[in-house]
Amino acid sequence: MSCSPFDLRDYYLKELTDPQQRQVEFHVRDCPACREELDRLRLTEAALLSLREEEIPQRIAFVSDPVFEPSRAARWWGAFWGSPARLGFAGASLVSAALLFSALTRPAGTSTGGGLPAAEVDRRIQAAVAASEVRQTARTTQLVHELVERVNTEQYARQVAENDARIARQDAYKAEIASGDYMTLASNQGGSR
Amino acid sequence: MIFRAVEDTDLIRQACRGSVESYNLLVSRWEKRVYNYLLRVTRNREDALDLAQDVFLKAYQNLRKLDDPGRFGPWLYRIAHNEAFSLFRKRKPEVDADSVDPGATDTGITVGGSSVFPIELSLAVSSALGRLSPDQREAVTLKIYQGFKFEEMAEILACPVSTVKSRLYTALELLKRELAPLSPRGAS
Repeated sequence: MSCSPFDLRDYYLKELTDPQQRQVEFHVRDCPACREELDRLRLTEAALLSLREEEIPQRIAFVSDPVFEPSRAARWWGAFWGSPARLGFAGASLVSAALLFSALTRPAGTSTGGGLPAAEVDRRIQAAVAASEVRQTARTTQLVHELVERVNTEQYARQVAENDARIARQDAYKAEIASGDYMTLASNQGGSR
Repeated sequence: MIFRAVEDTDLIRQACRGSVESYNLLVSRWEKRVYNYLLRVTRNREDALDLAQDVFLKAYQNLRKLDDPGRFGPWLYRIAHNEAFSLFRKRKPEVDADSVDPGATDTGITVGGSSVFPIELSLAVSSALGRLSPDQREAVTLKIYQGFKFEEMAEILACPVSTVKSRLYTALELLKRELAPLSPRGAS
């Protein structure tokens, strides 16, 4: 029986904690019996390790045999996510399916005017058209009125200008008569005829 | 120092995603150790090679069940242990590994009945190992040849650490009795 504080085999196989290892080391220095036991363990291990490891006679190799590959579903799933074209096609199919589902499941008869009957819709349309026609007629009348006013104003201004010009000519004629230049005036008038 | 560009854990993750090449690389790193473990336990090359094939096949099939890729080693040896002892159970009616005649293994590891270790020490070691029970021999193999800690051995063998130590120390006592007087002659 060993007198070591801990099992010498644990010590030799390095299964003790560091402090425990040191305690055994310290003990073995002064214990010939434990030193001899450790020597026997070393010899035993050395003998065991003389039996060397052998090379494997035939390499173990795994070829790409289908049995070792991922399942068909796993491969399809991997290929699916790896293909943008397929992904785009799937997205388009999903949207198409959603549209089709929506069209097929929408109740009939509620497709006009958010639930209003067709007659009411017609009536509202006619009322809106009539109101629009009234607004348009009033606008046209206003434009005509403004046009007439503008024409009248321009005509009045022209008449005023003509009157002013005639008055000016009469004033000039009277002034010539008053200055005695009658003959000149007469000859001018006769020459001009 | 051996530099590994790709760690085992990376290879395991890639293999889980279906990369057979990654798994092949993983196999090449572990096949020698697993083969030698099985060779020590079964003491037969053909059995060891067949079992090694089965071990790596089962490991691949169950790789996704490995929770911690960092524990690949003990997990792989656990499969190897199960495969080896499954073989022992199958052959029990004809060859009970616990009751092997010591004289039948005196010639060391055999292939087709012929000895492959001519050196005296190797014969003595092989003979001494042959006298151990499979459990004891496996404990010696995992500790001395494979360098596992007690905790890892307990995980591989699915038993308490105390059982592991009991098997190993019983085996070491037997081996010490056999080999300690012989080793100064052969090892020096």
